[in-house]
Amino acid sequence: MGQAQSSTSEIEKNRFLTGAQAIMQSLVEQGVHTIFGYPGGAIMPTYDALYDYQDQLKHILVRHEQGAGHAAQGFARMTNKAGVCMVTSGPGATNLITPIADAMLDSTPMVCIVGQVKGNLLGTDAFQECDVIGMTMPITKWNYQVVDPNEIPDVIAKAFYIAESGRPGPVLIDITRTAQTDVMTVPFSYEKCNSIISYRPRVEPKKEHLQAAADLINAAKKPYILAGHGVLISGGEEELKAFVEKSGAPVATTLLGMSAMDADHPLFVGWPGMHGNYGANVLTNSCDVLIAIGMRFDDRITGDLNTYAKQAKVVHIEIDPSEIDKNVKADAPIVGDAKATLRALLPLIEQKDRSEWRKEFEKYDQEEYEKINKKELFHEGNQIKMGEAVNMLSEKTKGEAVVVTDVGQHQMITNRYYRFKKANSIVTSGGAGTMGFALPAAFGAKVAVPEREVVAVIGDGGFQMTLQELGTIAQSGLPVKIIILNNNFLGMVRQWQELFFDNRYSFVELQNPDFITIAKGFGIAGHTVKDRAELSNSLDTLLNSDKPYLLEIVCEKEENVFPMVPAGGCVTNVRLD
Amino acid sequence: MKTTYTISIFTTNTVGLLNRITIVFTRRRLNIESLTVSETERKGVSRFTIVIKSESREFVEKLVRQIRKITDVLAVFGYLDNEIVFNEIALFKLASPSGGKPIDAKAINLDWNAKVVHFGMDYVVVEKNGTEEEIGEFYQYLKQWDILEYIKSGRVAVGKTEKGLVEYLPEGNWEIV
Ligand SMILES: Cc1ncc(C[n+]2csc(CCOP(=O)(O)OP(=O)(O)O)c2C)c(N)n1
Repeated sequence: MGQAQSSTSEIEKNRFLTGAQAIMQSLVEQGVHTIFGYPGGAIMPTYDALYDYQDQLKHILVRHEQGAGHAAQGFARMTNKAGVCMVTSGPGATNLITPIADAMLDSTPMVCIVGQVKGNLLGTDAFQECDVIGMTMPITKWNYQVVDPNEIPDVIAKAFYIAESGRPGPVLIDITRTAQTDVMTVPFSYEKCNSIISYRPRVEPKKEHLQAAADLINAAKKPYILAGHGVLISGGEEELKAFVEKSGAPVATTLLGMSAMDADHPLFVGWPGMHGNYGANVLTNSCDVLIAIGMRFDDRITGDLNTYAKQAKVVHIEIDPSEIDKNVKADAPIVGDAKATLRALLPLIEQKDRSEWRKEFEKYDQEEYEKINKKELFHEGNQIKMGEAVNMLSEKTKGEAVVVTDVGQHQMITNRYYRFKKANSIVTSGGAGTMGFALPAAFGAKVAVPEREVVAVIGDGGFQMTLQELGTIAQSGLPVKIIILNNNFLGMVRQWQELFFDNRYSFVELQNPDFITIAKGFGIAGHTVKDRAELSNSLDTLLNSDKPYLLEIVCEKEENVFPMVPAGGCVTNVRLD
Repeated sequence: MKTTYTISIFTTNTVGLLNRITIVFTRRRLNIESLTVSETERKGVSRFTIVIKSESREFVEKLVRQIRKITDVLAVFGYLDNEIVFNEIALFKLASPSGGKPIDAKAINLDWNAKVVHFGMDYVVVEKNGTEEEIGEFYQYLKQWDILEYIKSGRVAVGKTEKGLVEYLPEGNWEIV
């Protein structure tokens, strides 16, 4: 009897997966092939299962969990599929908090698999226990704690569906160690999720809303389009172009929507917002219909809402209904996916020539060029200015690289001077403004699209927040191109202190390490350029390298970024110097 | 002038959802006046009734949209007082020592539409249903005795509409309890 029993349980063991195996099998069946992760106690059973899945799931060992998160974000931004990261409980999980918050604000799909202490230890302050579910509730689109291995396939399927559909965002699954080690009591089966009763994002817009918007647009003399991240997320660049050309309306893209329009398109007028273009800001308050597509009227774009586009009727196309009327009241709201909505709207739009209105931007462009670009691109000095470095990078890469920026002055300068020719080419931390984002995000992007040139542009401050990921990059061998625009300052904060705090420089100067020696220590080649005359050759060396490469560009120390709409100011109140 | 709003939230019955919902209020520094959670006539569906006061209808509308955005929330309805039938329940524990002022059970019952639901050794427990105002007035009346304990529930409310709110839930194979 006893023998017979043990042999049945042997058979069952072979037939039924452990929770850890179920996690692996679920990921495979979901179509995941890359995981960014870092092991530790509470996730070890799953790492053990991963050992047997190495030929199906490529795991990339980062150097810090924050790196795993940002890498997953970079990956997700390139593929529009959830980036996957896997970490242990306690400190492993808390190190992921920043990327999760960043992904939430920037609508980036991400699935985080986090180990948790054994089920019987929950709530006991066990070793490396922390309330990850509680901590990430406000910064995830959905999170869930698994204590029963049988739940794993369905929960993982649901996680991917929630992360990737509607307005994308991060999802976290907290899995107890026992749920990983216990054997399922039902046969494993995985079915992709494509509907949840309590969650029904609207993709196709409502007909009556389309007509109302089309009527406003057709009657407009001065329609102005603001295209956001939603256009890129939905893959609607072609639809946007068709819409722009048919309506003849000038179009600006937000920081995250950058590259949704070819920078050389005659109707493209740049970007609005705090450091955006002069005309793109000022004429927001001259248009008669403002057409916002897949964007959320962030305060860095609108400045003072009481003076923002008050004269305009607003058409707001947005997949997240809670964004409608949140900051700017919409006269014609359309809830729907940007691509689907633009496609449905196009036949209702009349073909118009609005070149007179488009011309109004030119005098502002001219003034901006004279007062800013010219000084930054064609000056006499020896010292390199950030603008000319980025401008040259843009020319050398023909505007076709994937550009990943960190946060600060260099971020704004990069978006001013890089002329994007190809869609889905900017990866930047917009909503959260997370310093330290670029290096791991650039790595994640390169993993996703190894065939594309991926260039990270980073400040000397931000680089030092996640530079340990040089190790990950070196180990992968992937030719990520890294540029440090070194001004020896926390430049953006210094600029504010200069302009708004009476030149009182309070803790913004850095004593920097020798970045090239550091890179070398990680096995990554690099060099420093200080002389303007050497800039072109230096960029060539960087771009021609078939290995990862670090180029430190020593820039003028106290350059300021203009134009600038001071925080909370009116969009017509633009400082050019 | 602050107006009272009653928000009815239908959700799937999930661990931690209360937390997710209250975060929406906390982030906007909005005080919850009362909160009641109960099962509904549909299996696996919970109903939160949350009362808030606000000066701005627009603010409340935005709040409702933020709550609706939560993945496990099925539907959200916001109401003004004239759009609902609502009630609360209060329990009062009054001291009734021998030789003390006798409790007037008859007046409590007939004049105040309340009832004594428990007679203890030296105390009684009185139950009163009504609006917050009615319960408040009754409280004032009871003050002539020694009130040992007073507790009041949150508001429960149903809309003054022909159909039940569950009819507005997304279509699905709902099991009736
Ligand atoms: C994690 C984090 N901490 C602080 C800040 C505030 N901050 C914004 S820009 C900036 C300076 C960035 O300096 P650097 O990386 O050298 O770039 P630069 O502005 O000089 O181009 C700081 C400190 C931030 N955005 N993120």
